[in-house]
Amino acid sequence: MALTDSQIERYSRHIILKEVGGKGQQKLLASRVLIIGAGGLGAPVALYLAAAGIGTIGIADADNVDLSNLQRQVIHFTPDIGKPKVDSAREKIQAINPDVQVRCYHEWINAANIMGIIGEYDFVVDATDNFAAKFLINDACILAGKPYSHGGILQFVGQTITVLPGESTCYRCIFPTPPPKDAIPTCSQAGVIGVLPGVIGSIQATEAIKFLLGKGELLAGRLLMYDALKMKFRDVAINRNPNCPLCGEHPTITEARDELDLLTVCDLEQ
Amino acid sequence: MTITVNGKKTDLPENSGRTIDSLLAELDVSQPLYVTVELNGEILERNAFDATLVATGDTIEFLYFMGGGC
Amino acid sequence: MSILNLDITKDRCPMTFVKTKLKLEELEPGDTLEILLTAGEPLNNVPRTATEQGYTVLETTLVKENIYKVVIRK
Repeated sequence: MALTDSQIERYSRHIILKEVGGKGQQKLLASRVLIIGAGGLGAPVALYLAAAGIGTIGIADADNVDLSNLQRQVIHFTPDIGKPKVDSAREKIQAINPDVQVRCYHEWINAANIMGIIGEYDFVVDATDNFAAKFLINDACILAGKPYSHGGILQFVGQTITVLPGESTCYRCIFPTPPPKDAIPTCSQAGVIGVLPGVIGSIQATEAIKFLLGKGELLAGRLLMYDALKMKFRDVAINRNPNCPLCGEHPTITEARDELDLLTVCDLEQ
Repeated sequence: MTITVNGKKTDLPENSGRTIDSLLAELDVSQPLYVTVELNGEILERNAFDATLVATGDTIEFLYFMGGGC
Repeated sequence: MSILNLDITKDRCPMTFVKTKLKLEELEPGDTLEILLTAGEPLNNVPRTATEQGYTVLETTLVKENIYKVVIRK
């Protein structure tokens, strides 16, 4: 579909780029990205993917906006307190860019619904805040062959890796089994500097866009680590693990499942 | 002996019997029960930590769980 | 080999290159695009950016007053 005059103007700074052009912008407008989590990481991902003209953005989150979110979840504003996060996110996405179709999933993503939902998208972004979800998303995406971006943050540090199923390192290659419940602190226990998910989330959005355009080098097989206090980035090459229980030579995990005992009290009380 | 830990050259007292397990304690590594160890480019199985010796010139990365995102 | 035409004398930067780029995307390798543009920013930017992005500027000729014809080949 040809770009309208309004789109040519809106996306002019993309069109000028050798790596994008009108053709690349049309690819983005035809793409579908699912963002699981409409909080700290999900906010910048949603805002930048909307601005970039991703044609369909799916956004999943069971929570409502609360006051303590506003320190970092920049897609939600003070008048949104009490509203479902997916509704608040949809409103801002459409205000930035009416070209974007938004699909909201106001529910927990779990083993029963994840395969059906991710099947409709070209790329998935893990913007969740708990290990049960991170492992579930990894497993489902590998099993379904869906490329995705993993992200995690805490206090002043963050990390992200892009997973190309069948080709590159998956989350379980690095962390074969989840940690026990409460072994690792959450942001509500240990705190998080508000701007941190802005940095990691923006990187995740960049990876999604590059994947969709087919340009640049992805963080596939590389874990990017960010330390905001030292203001340092480093990336570590990580090969696929032949002993990975999901994508290794002798997989033991063959279906998506819920690790309910990993959910902390903070998650369950919603 | 000199090894590289998380991208930095690290000098350690000579000890031919140093295992990954003892290195975790010696360097006071966080999350010792859950940290992932990449040794010379390969992820090391946790059950091999106490049997794997650290040699001079080894490159080690400690990779930590980070579960936040909200 | 096709020759396409584009008049961007009424446009201001960066729309000048944006429209040029979109038109160049319609070309097959070997085709040429003849552009009419004004002196100043368009004349400075369009041929240079086209060259940076791998296109070949074949000629730049003054047509009249402030208007130039730039021919670019894919």
